[in-house]
Amino acid sequence: MKPFDYERAVSSNAAARAALASGAHFIAGGTNLLDLMKLEVLRPDKLIDISRLPLRQVERTGDGGLRIGAMVTNSDLAADPRVRRHYPVLSRALLAGASGQLRNKATTAGNLLQRTRCPYFQDTAMPCNKREPGSGCHALDGFNRNHAILGTSESCIATHPSDMAVAMMALDASVEIQSAAGKTRTVALDEFYALPGDTPHVETTLDSGDLVTAVLLPPPLAARQVYRKVRDRASYAFALVSVAAVISMNEGVLDHVAVSFGGLAPKPWRDRKVEALLSGKPPSGALFQEAADRLLAEARGYGGNDFKIALAHRTLRAVLRQATGLTQ
Amino acid sequence: MSARLTLTVNGRAYAIEADPVARLSHVLREDLGLRGTKSGCDAGDCGACTVLADGVPVCACLMPAAQAGGRAIQTVEGLSSNGTANRLQRAFLRHGAAQCGICTPGMLMAATALLDETPRPTRQAAEDAIGGVLCRCTGYTKIIDAICDAWRDADDGTETPAAGQSVGARLPRLDGLPKVLGTEIFGADSWPTDALLVRAVRSPHHSAGFRFGDIEAWRSGQPGIVAVFTADDIPGQNRFGVIPPFADQPALAAGHVRFRGEAVAIVAGEPAAMRALDLTTFPVDWQADDPLLDTPSARQPTAAAIHAGRDGNLLITGKVQTGDADAALAASAHVATLTAETGHVEHAYIEPEAGFARMNGDVLEIQACTQAPVMDQEDTALVLGLPKEKVRVLPVAAGGGFGSKLDVSLQPLIGLVALKTGRPARMVYTRPESMMSTTKRHPGRMTATIGADADGRITGMVFDGDFDTGAYASWGPTVATRVPVHASGPYRTPHYRAEARAVHTNGPIAGAFRGFGVPQAAILQESLYDLLAGKAGMDRLAFRRLNALTDGERSVCGQEMNGAGIAECLEALQADWDRAVAETEAFNRVHTGPKRGIGVASCWYGCGNTALPNPSTMRAGITTDGRLVLHQGATDIGQGANTVISQIFADALGVPLSLVDRIGSDTALTPDCGKTSASRQTVVSGKAALLAGQALREAVLRLGNMGPGATITLDGAQLLLRDGPALRQIDLSALPPDDRGYVLSAEETYDPPTEALDGNGQGKPYAVYGYGAQLAEVEVDLALGKVRVLRITAAHDLGRVINPQLAEGQIEGGIAQGLGMALMEEYLPGRTENLHDYLIPTSGDMPEIRSILIEKPDPEGPMGAKGLGEHVLIPTAPAILNAIADATGVRLTKVPALPHRVRAALREKEAGPS
Repeated sequence: MKPFDYERAVSSNAAARAALASGAHFIAGGTNLLDLMKLEVLRPDKLIDISRLPLRQVERTGDGGLRIGAMVTNSDLAADPRVRRHYPVLSRALLAGASGQLRNKATTAGNLLQRTRCPYFQDTAMPCNKREPGSGCHALDGFNRNHAILGTSESCIATHPSDMAVAMMALDASVEIQSAAGKTRTVALDEFYALPGDTPHVETTLDSGDLVTAVLLPPPLAARQVYRKVRDRASYAFALVSVAAVISMNEGVLDHVAVSFGGLAPKPWRDRKVEALLSGKPPSGALFQEAADRLLAEARGYGGNDFKIALAHRTLRAVLRQATGLTQ
Repeated sequence: MSARLTLTVNGRAYAIEADPVARLSHVLREDLGLRGTKSGCDAGDCGACTVLADGVPVCACLMPAAQAGGRAIQTVEGLSSNGTANRLQRAFLRHGAAQCGICTPGMLMAATALLDETPRPTRQAAEDAIGGVLCRCTGYTKIIDAICDAWRDADDGTETPAAGQSVGARLPRLDGLPKVLGTEIFGADSWPTDALLVRAVRSPHHSAGFRFGDIEAWRSGQPGIVAVFTADDIPGQNRFGVIPPFADQPALAAGHVRFRGEAVAIVAGEPAAMRALDLTTFPVDWQADDPLLDTPSARQPTAAAIHAGRDGNLLITGKVQTGDADAALAASAHVATLTAETGHVEHAYIEPEAGFARMNGDVLEIQACTQAPVMDQEDTALVLGLPKEKVRVLPVAAGGGFGSKLDVSLQPLIGLVALKTGRPARMVYTRPESMMSTTKRHPGRMTATIGADADGRITGMVFDGDFDTGAYASWGPTVATRVPVHASGPYRTPHYRAEARAVHTNGPIAGAFRGFGVPQAAILQESLYDLLAGKAGMDRLAFRRLNALTDGERSVCGQEMNGAGIAECLEALQADWDRAVAETEAFNRVHTGPKRGIGVASCWYGCGNTALPNPSTMRAGITTDGRLVLHQGATDIGQGANTVISQIFADALGVPLSLVDRIGSDTALTPDCGKTSASRQTVVSGKAALLAGQALREAVLRLGNMGPGATITLDGAQLLLRDGPALRQIDLSALPPDDRGYVLSAEETYDPPTEALDGNGQGKPYAVYGYGAQLAEVEVDLALGKVRVLRITAAHDLGRVINPQLAEGQIEGGIAQGLGMALMEEYLPGRTENLHDYLIPTSGDMPEIRSILIEKPDPEGPMGAKGLGEHVLIPTAPAILNAIADATGVRLTKVPALPHRVRAALREKEAGPS
């Protein structure tokens, strides 16, 4: 492993300023970063340890929502009584991810910013546009069973691996960011992530020196919340497809509809057209079929992951049936 | 950089200088000497390094030392006090929850966090608590049993059976205490303080030529790097292999590599420098070739030859033929044909290869994990140009093996460094290095046709298979020989022709893996039996019972069977089968989305080498001060050889097990017990122990001039012999000891009687076989293609059950590996070289398992015993696949049955009749 400097940040401001240095990298739980450093995928010059910053609170916000500190661990967040009661989809998604040991260490901000499990990204002997911009992508015609079918580009078809972020996406979460200049701004989670396009190494809209300080959840809705994850083994495996749904019914029709997806795209995926199509209509097999068709109209398989198109179609329909109580 | 840190571990404060981002696991093990915390992956994937930080389980490999500062860290060393196991540790011993022991510290810590909050947890809670700790040996069942039973203030389960009562007793393993205390020494747990650390430069390509740049210039520019060695530095024959006539693998490749992960150079240096070394700067230029990555491409007439002299990339062909299979099939009332395909399977033991070498005078000593100490000794001596007696191999506890630790890995490499530099040399494989460079299960592409008459009796079978043996021979010849002998399954097959080829590719080396090709072949044969039962209109279990081989009948090799217990195993499943048929029908009547199904499959497996000499030698003696010593050279890789062989020996001698003091294994101290493979240690080394025990008993009785019924007691240096009223007391200290210090001793060798196979594979390939049958009950989510195994009932004929707890442990662990092979495990070189992209079952994947132990004595085995280790894995995958077919109406012929494959098969069926 390449030598590097280490400093423990004493405040958010100091952390954000320190991060302006070239080659600087935050470390929080370290569950993803240390592995990538061992593999020489990431070779930071300096690590800024933010794990002890006072960002470990889950607090009620003025509007009745929740403010989740960036350093709240995945375990603590999943176990928080307010989360379990009002945002159960988030609790379930968290518990569907990683293992207990990792959830005890992994943080909210680190989870949002975790890197893809694409094997070509992890193998420094192979080209990868995300790791080395312009070097090429071997996943396009290589081993791509776990890769994305939506939002891809000819530069990159890697997926975002998070479960937590998928649930947060369906909950209309936003991200609180502090800049190196000390300014705080809030960005909708949907706007937080960037699609690969020609620049797959740019994964978020964060600037140099930006520090994620919290995730904000809006006030809870009276809605059914479902998280469904399809994976190759019972626990501790990344999603082939996952679906988070927050759906309310009103007089027999779908009212509020928010559905997001993991395992399908370079970022937690949400398609407002699909939601608009569902909203205001009574649940039916035909409607759900149409919604799934719409979701996947532009999906593209790359060989090994072709099955995800059909799998996503079926998983979405199963989740919609569950969320709406449709029995057939 | 390094910083001053204060760590509080197990209540004690340590002030250390450490890199703030050093892994806590590294600091604990290397700096503080707390080596009970194990490192299996350094990536948070295996959980072996689980410790508690402020009471919460975390992976110590992912905790930077600086983040551990100020927290109360608890490790396995903090559970016991003064070597006394705590309640949880005693429960682990009592229930047989530790096999190899490498995951045990992680399991204990994860369980401790649960039990601190919930002293009497549910099974589900226990299963969840250990969901992030992988175990490859136990199948998790006994671990969960132990966690749920840890509230009881009970002992470790050790009884002291009376003389002659050891065999058959449910005893905890004799070597279990250090495994639960965390004091067991595995490959990475011990090294001389002045040892150099060794790392290998490995090929990133499947096939490539290579040239080195200026290695000396590179080395001298790296402070702390002491030496670099390449193929040119190897003093002996740079070609090893487990089967000498086929030896073809260089310790360090010369000029060309044949697989990804092959070593071309080793670098040795001071540990800190080696850890900081960026090996990507090593001066080597690769010229990658187009690799041959599967058997169809390797068998193309135009394919490049991977080894000169092996035309068509064919290593060897195995063949068994009896009667006229084609005529029999042509005359059959029912015939079924299938083609099946299996992939590479990784052994995924939690301990990556590790050990050290050092010179002791002019003897090279190698202390490393292994399944085959004498083979390591021979291969290392050959590569290093040393006489065999100048190499001593001291096996440490192996943190799992399953076949892959039969081949040498790091032994010649660290041996070379120690020999050349005179300094001790230590090497610890990384997880990716272990996965890419060591052997795998052979992928098989197999086609078979089986026929039955109108009554459902098997008439004949033809089997043909290509097995991808990878870049080097390893155990390819064994697989090619074993498959045709076993592909009939334990069934009467009067007309038979089977051919299996081991074919070279540039894939990973395929070698020994629990079953040597038989699990692959069983998938095909047992699938065909379901099809034939359907055609014959018979119940699938009844069809198998009708065709089960019985004593006096001949196998496909013409061997007359004796002690064949397959009919008894199948019969033992009947009641569960009837229940499961009824329950499945009831479930499927009311459910449309999920569907349930059941499947059954059998196994047989010949113990030991196929028609080749296969001896074990056991020595025992009594010292002048009355110590009874058994020189037990069979390596215990978790399966329990130390315990089982001692039990047999104690009963043969007629003393309580507690009197037996074990030595070994160590090539300088223990006679050759061969390798721990092919389910041979209980049968072959066990028989040698039986003979040695009997011989020592005779010597004792002769000395005392007592009759055969006398009892033997040792009381200090006094040997007491009693036979009814007759009592004889012998003062051992008054007798003259031999060179080894024994006043009485015995050494016995046992070589199972086999007969060579002729050109048609006819003969007596094995002296002893074991049998089994398993019933799988599964549920399939038709919409998503997900399969859940609900229950497995496993009936296995062990001939004589030496230790029921260890036998159940083998069954549960074998089922876990069979389930992995059936449903999730597929190794892809370069893509799944870690324990997160390569999935093995977690606690949540395991079904309920019920073991039924059957004892149909074998006339040859010790006290009637048969082997078990490999048998247990063979029926699992075919039983699951048959259950999936029963549930869904579609038959998967390619494993693993991942959701996308199940869905593809269902989609084909839904598309309508073809």
